[in-house]
Amino acid sequence: MQIKVEDLSYVYSPKTPFEKVALDGVSFTVNEGDTIGIIGSTGSGKSTLCQHFNALIRISHGKIYVGDKDLTARKLDLLALRKEIGMLFQFPEYQLFDDTVAKDVEFGPKNFGYGKEEAARLAEEALVMVGMNYAEVKNKSPFELSGGEKRRAAIAGVIASKPSVLVLDEPTAGLDPIGKREILELVNDLKKSFLKTVIMISHNMDEIAANCNRVIVLHNGKLLYDTTPEQLFSDPEAIAATDLGYPHSVHIKRLLAERGIELDTPALDADSLLAALKRRYSL
Amino acid sequence: MRDMTLGQYYPADSFTHKLDPRVKLLLVIAFIVMVFLVKNLIAYSAIILCVVIGTLVSRIPLIKVLKSIKGIIFLVLFTAVLNLIFHKGETVLWSWWRITISVEGIFFSLKMALRLILLVAGTTLLTYTTTPTGLTDGMESLMYPLKLIKVPTHDIAVIMSIALRFIPILSEEVDKIMMAQKARGASFDTGGIVKRAKALLPVLIPLFVSAFRRADELALALDARCYNATPNRTRYQVMKLSYRDVIAVLGTAVFLVSVIALNMNFWGAYVPPENLWWLFS
Repeated sequence: MQIKVEDLSYVYSPKTPFEKVALDGVSFTVNEGDTIGIIGSTGSGKSTLCQHFNALIRISHGKIYVGDKDLTARKLDLLALRKEIGMLFQFPEYQLFDDTVAKDVEFGPKNFGYGKEEAARLAEEALVMVGMNYAEVKNKSPFELSGGEKRRAAIAGVIASKPSVLVLDEPTAGLDPIGKREILELVNDLKKSFLKTVIMISHNMDEIAANCNRVIVLHNGKLLYDTTPEQLFSDPEAIAATDLGYPHSVHIKRLLAERGIELDTPALDADSLLAALKRRYSL
Repeated sequence: MRDMTLGQYYPADSFTHKLDPRVKLLLVIAFIVMVFLVKNLIAYSAIILCVVIGTLVSRIPLIKVLKSIKGIIFLVLFTAVLNLIFHKGETVLWSWWRITISVEGIFFSLKMALRLILLVAGTTLLTYTTTPTGLTDGMESLMYPLKLIKVPTHDIAVIMSIALRFIPILSEEVDKIMMAQKARGASFDTGGIVKRAKALLPVLIPLFVSAFRRADELALALDARCYNATPNRTRYQVMKLSYRDVIAVLGTAVFLVSVIALNMNFWGAYVPPENLWWLFS
């Protein structure tokens, strides 16, 4: 399923002193199978853009097509759309509410029309998928869990209804390094099963470089680049214009290049950097 | 939620915005007294003029003032209807059982409705033109006599300003949580009243959790900056009276006097013509 964004603009609190242009004529296409990273400094419009995909924000100017659905249509089946496009907000653990973890995860599937037993089965699957011990946590209150567990439970709540597109708003913010890696591994695992397309907002260039096949750079609500991580991180001008910074591996590669050591790799992650070094020195 | 108008500051560069908050508070109290003093329609016109002038010099768009009235429209209609059917008047037009509609009743309910609308329109000018900090600083300063009898006026003011500051934060939080639950298929605008109330649980519980978390964090932040370590805190912004405040007080005084004069029919000096009696009753 393709998501097509055409000339999308959005203004917060129009015609008041608080007016703020969040998106300004953004157009791009997300193809099925893509893992797209959306990057840009704070206030560049990333979250606003993502909240358009499942019609949490209704379009005020421009067009979005999800498959053959026109999101500007008056009679839009919101439930079907939101089942198709799952969305994980920043700090999702703050949205847990039910008295047991299992019930909280079942909330989504139940809303999307699954029966009681089916919802319970989907919840179990989701909790297992995010690496939690189902038997142990199912009757626990979500507020008894640790920080990392809460985040997993919240993710389970989103993926339980098996969306084919998953939008993640800074999924690793506030986690320790191991937690970060586990979340990204989970996303990659999900992409091997029911998940087809991933759209990920992140401030962490390492994550973008290592996981995404495409990047979209927003700056003050405008789309500056729609390219591959390889292209973007080999273009110093682009990086300087958006004050984003390089992934660590690319940074090291550039430092080596300054000292005359050229490597035959875009060095988007530590492994490829290491491999290139080994090749160069025939280790 | 973003369109919440009650108690929201509207930034602009105007005469009223620059007034001392203490003066504004006192003027609003004078205004409220004025609104409760009016008896006849001709005196009402003086108050309407007062609100219009106040809005114009505050440079608040008219639509904003109308929006604040929209919030109480149900209350206005409700009291108007009650007054209309239960007010005992002499010139009865229609009556059934205990319900009577009289000419006096029509005027009475009209005046009560006007009174409510003017009350809100006038007082929201205060919150539109004064920052929450200004408001609480002004209140603290006006509460000075209470401080002398050991009432913790400063703490009261801080509590008020924190409460005011949390309104937009919590409303933003509500927006976020609602979006997150909507993304999981929740619906807040379908079904009967019971279903809708139930649908709010997934919003209210996380909201309370986060409110308590924020309160804890704020308490820590206040402690970390040694809040209340010294008895006499100085201020970043010192309130000062200026020529503007004098003008505002004099202007309001003119209106107050004219309302009283019109109420009392210029102390009986003016006898209204027969066909204008309704203006003066």
